[in-house]
Amino acid sequence: MTTLPAPDRAAEAQLAAALARCAAGERAAMRVIYDIEAGRMVGVARRILRRQDLAEEAVQDAFMRMWRAARSFDPARGSARTWLYAILRNSAISILRDEGRFGSDEEFSEDIAPATENALARLPETSALRRCLEQLDAQRRTVVVLAYVHGLSHCELAGKLGVPLGTVKSWVRRSLISLQECMG
Amino acid sequence: MTPDRDERTQASEYVLGLLEGEAQMEAERRLASDASFAREVERWRMRFAEFDDATEPHPAGEALWQRIETATASGTPQRAAQPSRWMRLWSDIAVLRTATVAASLAVVLLAVGLGVAIRQARLQPVMVAVLVDGNRAGAVVHAFADGRVVLLPLTSIAVPSGRTLQVWTLPSRERGPVSVGLMDRARTLELELKDLPRPGPDQLFEITLEPAGGSPTGRPTGPILFKGNTAQTL
Repeated sequence: MTTLPAPDRAAEAQLAAALARCAAGERAAMRVIYDIEAGRMVGVARRILRRQDLAEEAVQDAFMRMWRAARSFDPARGSARTWLYAILRNSAISILRDEGRFGSDEEFSEDIAPATENALARLPETSALRRCLEQLDAQRRTVVVLAYVHGLSHCELAGKLGVPLGTVKSWVRRSLISLQECMG
Repeated sequence: MTPDRDERTQASEYVLGLLEGEAQMEAERRLASDASFAREVERWRMRFAEFDDATEPHPAGEALWQRIETATASGTPQRAAQPSRWMRLWSDIAVLRTATVAASLAVVLLAVGLGVAIRQARLQPVMVAVLVDGNRAGAVVHAFADGRVVLLPLTSIAVPSGRTLQVWTLPSRERGPVSVGLMDRARTLELELKDLPRPGPDQLFEITLEPAGGSPTGRPTGPILFKGNTAQTL
């Protein structure tokens, strides 16, 4: 497993401890998690859902799932933080893909090249993810970044890039294989 | 054991959120049962987490916390981790399926439980929508042949002071959501659809939490508490 820098280790320990208290039914521990992570969670959900109200709905849903499932969190299997953000991404992407939702006027409409570069530019200079993504061809980089950061599906990526679905799928696969080799 | 290339690709596409339908279910089953795959998923999550760490936080105020607190007020965390629970956690599809089963069950229960009310009205609804939140059924909407549309609550709903429950429907995508009723608490309510076409099959109804007096914008602004689509009765 990747080793975390010291400040992250402290935050991770705090989160894992709060989750254990949630599992014991201690509601105050949920507030601890809210105070540490909710702002960033709203930010992550907003990148996917574009709207503050939907982002807040995703965060609320994620907290409900986290509260209900806290006992199934197993620190031996992974970090508390990735667990929490995996739940959040599931909530946000479910809302995004839910076709019964009102309105589609908020869908992703930015130009793809600047959106990709903006997401990359936010990563620290020292980031291995950034370095490895920058080694990919522009379009191959774009599919991975937009899928993760903005929650775009294969179909949406194909539409945005104006290429067939099969091409997008193969770009994604090859990009991921290159990333894996680069990041180790 | 070293994961093979297919396994890595499946794990990475799962983490990106690109798997759908059966492929997503398969990945979730595997996540629950295959330790090597679960490690691969965790590795990819850690790799991409840098994007989350680099995201600018947005204000998450007291109002959001209040909603979370209200929503989690009932019930305590579920009992210890069984593989099935772990799997369910990761499985949006499974949750949706549960919701569907719960909704069907609610329809059956309602058919029994509301028999009396229906007989009194000497009318049978032509359309029924069960409004759910995850796997919890919150209310049912009955549309009758004479044009009346009635909402019947199935559970009490916590409404903080200064807030109200607002019922919406989506007669068409072009028209967008239309408010059809306000209530201070979950109660039986005749909905106002007189100015709208009769509800058709697969028409969305939902209940949101709004400021007292109803949404100031005329569109839903608050969290969706329960929602569901109509289905024609036999």
